[in-house]
Amino acid sequence: MFKKINRLLYTRAGRILINGLWRDNPIFCMILGICSSLAITNRVENAIAMGCGVTFCLLATSTIVSTIRNLIPARVRMITYMVIISTFVIIVDQFLKAYFPTISEAMGPYVGLIITNCIIMGRAESFAIKNPVKYSFLDALASGLGYTYTLIILSIIREVLAFGTILRYRIVPLSWTNWVVMAMAPGAFFVLALYLWIMRSIAKLEPRK
Amino acid sequence: MKERILMIIFVIFLGTVSAGLLTSVNHYLRPKIDKNKELKFKSSLLDVFNLSYTKDKIEKIFDENIRIYHKNNFTFYKSLNNEVAFEFSGAGLWGSISGIIALKSDLETIHGLKILHQTETPGLGGRIAEKEFLDQFKNKKIIPKLLIVSATKATKENEVDAITGATMTSKAFEDILNKTIQQYLQILRSELN
Repeated sequence: MFKKINRLLYTRAGRILINGLWRDNPIFCMILGICSSLAITNRVENAIAMGCGVTFCLLATSTIVSTIRNLIPARVRMITYMVIISTFVIIVDQFLKAYFPTISEAMGPYVGLIITNCIIMGRAESFAIKNPVKYSFLDALASGLGYTYTLIILSIIREVLAFGTILRYRIVPLSWTNWVVMAMAPGAFFVLALYLWIMRSIAKLEPRK
Repeated sequence: MKERILMIIFVIFLGTVSAGLLTSVNHYLRPKIDKNKELKFKSSLLDVFNLSYTKDKIEKIFDENIRIYHKNNFTFYKSLNNEVAFEFSGAGLWGSISGIIALKSDLETIHGLKILHQTETPGLGGRIAEKEFLDQFKNKKIIPKLLIVSATKATKENEVDAITGATMTSKAFEDILNKTIQQYLQILRSELN
């Protein structure tokens, strides 16, 4: 059993998954998608919704780019990515407004801002444009999940410190003094910096010389 | 040359497909989105009048209990108990804040308050939309003026606690409310005389 898993990890698909989730994690390794991880990690529910939205757009964009990769003229590939990404982001936005109005309201303008998330364009340019569909799909999934779990970790730290709750359930006693700064942008910078430091140390990522 | 033409054809094709997709999605979802907006507005009105409703009966209860009046381009909503509600909106700290306020029939006391739209700092100013904050306004006097004072200092009957860490939003909210209330009260009073 263990051997089997071990062997799976060394197939191409296994390596893609590990890279997205850990070794090439979009946030702590590639330092992409930082704006959104600073902006919406003050509550766990926002982090989950954002993670899902980005993962969906990532999957759709990578799959389509990979499918038509031989048709895209090299000179206009960036525009192609942008058009595809924004199409899907608008669809996600409209879909949430129509079927999940409360979530859409909680996320506010951040749904539309998925367009500016560099991870999606990054995966399209560095992977989907030159790899077959099934690997591009896996790569997008791994990056999306890698992004989502990071957001959730950050938002748990921030929500507990700032409000004493997780998903609005109180988990620390009422006598807890809320760290208001954690709900604001400066708090996000502190938490993200510490997180990057810890994760990069564990993953033994050295700055390139 | 041939490459360029192909490139242009590709871009035009891409744009057409994307625009077509978005148009059809919009066409299909727009009625639902508009309906959601309308239902949200109506249910908010029922909320500020403190009328209970279930999700599938919002429109029926709304039609039975609420009358709509227009005067000088202002719109008022009246309940069967003569409580009056109207919309307010104005600039907050980051974006516009809008909502509905209902006054009791004496036109001096707040009956209820609800925020429809705001883009204040999530978790700080954004808490103006939370029930705990808005519930404080119930039964407060708006005469001579509503005051939002720093947290846990509100004592008088026209004072409400501000949100800690969101002084600017609280101040902006106070201004919007007072301005709108004065405007609408003038019209309401002129109607009474």
